[in-house]
Amino acid sequence: MQGYGDGGDELAQLLSTMHAIEAACSSIQMHVNPAAAEATILALSQSHHPYKTCQFILENSKVANARFQAAGAVRDAAIREWGFLSSDDRRNLISFCLCFALQHADSHESYVQAKVSSVAAQLIKRGWLDFSADEKEQFFYQIKQATLGTHGLNVQFIGIGIMEYLISEFSPSTSSAMGLPKEFHEQCRRSLELDYLKVFYGWARDASLNVSRKIAGSDSESLEVKVCNAGMCLMLQILTWEFRYNHNGTKSINIFSAGVRNDNVLNNKTECILVQPGPAWHDILISSGDIVWLLNLYAVLRQKFSIERSWIDCPIAVSARKLIVQFCSVTGTIFPSANGSQENYLVQLLSGIILWVEPIDAISKEIESGKSESELLDGCRALLAMATVTTPAVFNSLLKSIRPFGTLTLLSTLMGGVIKVLFSHNNEEETWSWEARDILLDIWTTLLAPLDSSGSGISFPPEGAAAAAHLFDLIVNSELKAASASVYNDDSDSDYLQPSISAMDERLSSYALIARASMDVTVPFLARLFAERVSHLHQGKGISDPTETLEELCSLLLIIGHVLADEGEGETPLIPDSVKRNFSDILEPDKHPVILLSSIIIRFAEQSLDPGLRTSFFSPRLMEAVIWFLSRWSATYLLTREEFNNKNDGSLPGSRHQLQSQDSTKTVAIYFSEYNYGKLVLDAVVRISIITFTAYPGENYLQGLACHQLLHALVRQKNICVHLVALESWRELSNAFANEKMLFMLNASHQRSLAQTLVLSASGLGNSEAANQYVRDVMGHMTKYLVDVSSRNDIRSISEQPDTILSITCLLERLRGAARASEPRTQKSIYEMGLSVLNAILVLLEVYKDESSVVYLLLKFVVVWVDAQITYLEATETATIIGFCMRLLQLYSSHNIGKISLSFSSSLLNDAKTEKYKDLRALLQLLSALCFKDLVDFSSDSIETQGTNVSQVVFYGLHIVTPLISLELLKYPKLCHDYFSLLSHMLEVYPEMVGQLNTEAFSHVMDTLNFGIHHQDSEVVNMCLRALKALASYQYKETAAGKVGLGSHASDPRNPNGGTENRIFGRFLRELLQFLLFEDYSPDLVGSAADALFPLILCEQSLYQMLGNELIERQANPTFRLRLTTALQFLTSANQLTSMLDRVNYQRFRKNLTNFLIEVRGFLQTK
Amino acid sequence: MSDEEHHFESKADAGASKTYPQQAGTIRKNGYIVIKNRPCKVVEVSTSKTGKHGHAKCHFVGIDIFNGKKLEDIVPSSHNCDVPHVTRIDYQLIDISEDGFVSLLTDNGSTKDDLRLPTDESLLAQIKDGFAEGKDLVVSVMSSMGEEQICALKDVGPK
Repeated sequence: MQGYGDGGDELAQLLSTMHAIEAACSSIQMHVNPAAAEATILALSQSHHPYKTCQFILENSKVANARFQAAGAVRDAAIREWGFLSSDDRRNLISFCLCFALQHADSHESYVQAKVSSVAAQLIKRGWLDFSADEKEQFFYQIKQATLGTHGLNVQFIGIGIMEYLISEFSPSTSSAMGLPKEFHEQCRRSLELDYLKVFYGWARDASLNVSRKIAGSDSESLEVKVCNAGMCLMLQILTWEFRYNHNGTKSINIFSAGVRNDNVLNNKTECILVQPGPAWHDILISSGDIVWLLNLYAVLRQKFSIERSWIDCPIAVSARKLIVQFCSVTGTIFPSANGSQENYLVQLLSGIILWVEPIDAISKEIESGKSESELLDGCRALLAMATVTTPAVFNSLLKSIRPFGTLTLLSTLMGGVIKVLFSHNNEEETWSWEARDILLDIWTTLLAPLDSSGSGISFPPEGAAAAAHLFDLIVNSELKAASASVYNDDSDSDYLQPSISAMDERLSSYALIARASMDVTVPFLARLFAERVSHLHQGKGISDPTETLEELCSLLLIIGHVLADEGEGETPLIPDSVKRNFSDILEPDKHPVILLSSIIIRFAEQSLDPGLRTSFFSPRLMEAVIWFLSRWSATYLLTREEFNNKNDGSLPGSRHQLQSQDSTKTVAIYFSEYNYGKLVLDAVVRISIITFTAYPGENYLQGLACHQLLHALVRQKNICVHLVALESWRELSNAFANEKMLFMLNASHQRSLAQTLVLSASGLGNSEAANQYVRDVMGHMTKYLVDVSSRNDIRSISEQPDTILSITCLLERLRGAARASEPRTQKSIYEMGLSVLNAILVLLEVYKDESSVVYLLLKFVVVWVDAQITYLEATETATIIGFCMRLLQLYSSHNIGKISLSFSSSLLNDAKTEKYKDLRALLQLLSALCFKDLVDFSSDSIETQGTNVSQVVFYGLHIVTPLISLELLKYPKLCHDYFSLLSHMLEVYPEMVGQLNTEAFSHVMDTLNFGIHHQDSEVVNMCLRALKALASYQYKETAAGKVGLGSHASDPRNPNGGTENRIFGRFLRELLQFLLFEDYSPDLVGSAADALFPLILCEQSLYQMLGNELIERQANPTFRLRLTTALQFLTSANQLTSMLDRVNYQRFRKNLTNFLIEVRGFLQTK
Repeated sequence: MSDEEHHFESKADAGASKTYPQQAGTIRKNGYIVIKNRPCKVVEVSTSKTGKHGHAKCHFVGIDIFNGKKLEDIVPSSHNCDVPHVTRIDYQLIDISEDGFVSLLTDNGSTKDDLRLPTDESLLAQIKDGFAEGKDLVVSVMSSMGEEQICALKDVGPK
């Protein structure tokens, strides 16, 4: 670039541009015609080679904003014109920016310097792969000199700033867009990480080290402090770099996984991010003794500023602490294995950090009186980082060299102190003690969770167990205090148990982990507390208000439930290993603490059966806690399967003489097995559930808990069902359900669940005859009632009475629940149940055509019933169902097509729309269920013998449903999901039927497919790809065999005479290629995309060639062009791919496509 | 009067009662309820408790099915609420008179002439335009607690 113009003309030109820009900048600031001003500035950055002008403005303008804009213009123009600039120009631009930023380091408008620095960083990155090492060296020499402070503190500060910009530019998540292939960004990152990052770190360290010496004598506002702070921020930034090439740097660049973080196994729960830079960093991070310097620096800061209260939150103190915490997270191969160097390193860190958290009582007092809490919180975070990188034993021993006790004791004391403060504040959220408690609980979880899941391998130091027991004592007592204090809070959110459980769940599971670390102490402790509360309740009966004690009992039930049992998450939970570990020597059941604790609670729960005690003690909320506890406890302990193993061992049922050979969990399991108290407890549980239905009218939440959680969980296990159906109480329940009005008062969805539960329990009966009879007995009354009502002559007039609607609603819900419980054993009776009401359903559909909620229930019952039955049905039965569905569809469409609802209220209208949408979903599900018959069929003869054709019904249904489904409706995720699953299913099973769709329906289907491919939900995309695959492979096979295939549909119906552009498959081929090459999607989709792409290519070979050539021609860069050409060739020829559509070829093509994408997406996708 | 008796009575004498008692806990969203003596459609049900260890109560938000106004009520969930008897009858539209009344054909062949056209602009237009075009229109008339109103329109096509 030349010097500034010799001619006056040129100077005049530059001056006029400068004035124009300055004027524009000030008019933007004053909001005078901002659009025109923006256009002026934009024109500068879009003009050809504006560099000279920009440099002129930067150097001469007095308006800071104009200088800022000029720097931006340099950046925009240079990134755009980079390819056309000579290498001298490029270098000069960068040098100019660097020099400018450094020379004007003392300028007051620091944002201009920051902008210029960032421009320099971006340009360096832009040319990174083109510059030789020497050229880079030149730039870095300048920066290094600045950073090390050769030119004064101001320059040093700017120098560090430039490095910060450089590093954030090179880290893909923070880099600016340059319109370059992603591969470019990845190469830059790799090169920086391998060759420069460590060097940069060294400079940053040296910079802070040098100035830190002078800090002791300067005040907190001084320049030295500012520079030191900047240096530490830079170190922190480098330590948060996501190290990827820390092994040997040989990893090839894979653009697919480049976007995905390789989350470390160690890093399972906590937010603590581990720093794993690899062995190359050992010298500079570990052996350099940086941490000693850093801790000393912080100690100096502490001492120096301790007079001012606010010093803890001043920037330099904050960044020093952050850096120290980050140092605690360093782990991995940087430490040579097995020589304790990591331990020594952590001990060093701990010796500094311990001052921040000890003694906790004094510190918390200071915080309460106004000192900032950040130091304490950072101390906790540092401990969390240490807990994450070590085992519990190592963690505990860290402190031993400095203090007479271990780290776990420290942790326990620390948390005790925090909890004291927390509960004295009434458990308010977002106080410092709340946050500290959460971090500390995270530490316990980090230490204890692996212990709890694996059981063996990692051991917990005895000192830790004692500390945990002590802490748990404190926690429970504080929680109880908080519970009794909360009774008179009028906080409506916490009135229900469930919300409070889920809000507390994470906390409760951490408490449980702490308790399980020393169950031998904590379980008896809990038993004592519970017994105390219960006797307190009885003593005060009729004298004092029990509410506080009730709330304490609720709280205890929650805690004990978490300690004793895990949540199954859909599977049968086992008795926790810690029970085995802690009580291995206790084999007599009447001394086993777990049995004692469980028995106390069960006995207490049984008191709710006594009407007197119930009204005085068992409030709905306490009952909720009891039911919650019983369901959690019984899933783990009641009649567990371990008894069966036992039987196989040959021990006699009921005999206890072999107990000696069993471990402690067996003792518990046997105690609650069928040979001992299991059946009694089960009976009690059932009776307590019945009480919730009869004695707590209108308590929906409580009844829901009993239906959905407790009873439902019981019938999930066959071994429990066997005993259930034999119980007198269970018979009472099913009798009451079938015959009594009382249970009609339950919420309808609870009745559904109860029906399902009762029918499921039939699996406990010995043979299928008995099971079917049981179902008939339970459901017979209900179907009879429905049939009777629907055949009455005055059905029309009575149907609209609210009580009729109520009973019909309840009955339909019950039938639906029963249908949901279909199992092979009870299939017959449930089929009969549905069959007997088919006519009634059609009648009711007619009668209730204006009562949308009943219509929905009718449809829903049919859906569930058909779905559960279809695979088992014989040909004639199938024909009946198909005929019925056909009539149902016709009736529904005759009621709903062309109907307009009118209402004054827009919210009622919206409701009506939502109900329509639910109906549509139900219909889609019905069609899908019917389709299923052709896939899975357990019947003895093929359905074709009856001349039934499932596909006809389904396509008839599709003709009804598709006009109602708009692209607007597809925005509802559930509907969208159902629609596409039906579509993909149908196109896979009956591609030949697609050709028979009318043009309108066909193009609608194609449009929705096209919509689905671009959907965000990858599951939907996947289903669309499957549909496409089915369609294209059908077409290819048919045409190859000389048939018509989709015939006229294959060309776009709206433009049948168009060229290749308008062919359906051509359109999809284009879309799919575009999608695969340029859009962002989950790598999981590549497999199904390959399956769809392969037949599409075969269908449209010439178009594919053309598209391939287009792609190649668009590629300007010759290397990329060559790579693309080769990759395209490989895609269709590698792995002996042939044009047969068989499994082997599909697999080959999948492999080819994956390789192809890895090869080309890196440079086709740009950022 | 107890619940049981009332149920019995309603069966025996259909249509005589304008409202029916039903336990508050069983009333669901999209059902009907009487609030402040107006028939409403329930658009929102939430439950809360009277104090931590007290009993549940239901909070209903209903929309008046005739005038679209929003009404609210709180009832202990074990108590009874009134549920209105809402009927809908379809009539064929045979005439629209100048003074804003419609003439409807009943099932038994007579006419019903006491119903006004709806006041809402858009649905008024739909009825008038459809009728003017000679379409065969069926209107649904919703009635409850002594009030009635046209609530839906369906084009059954020219005969």
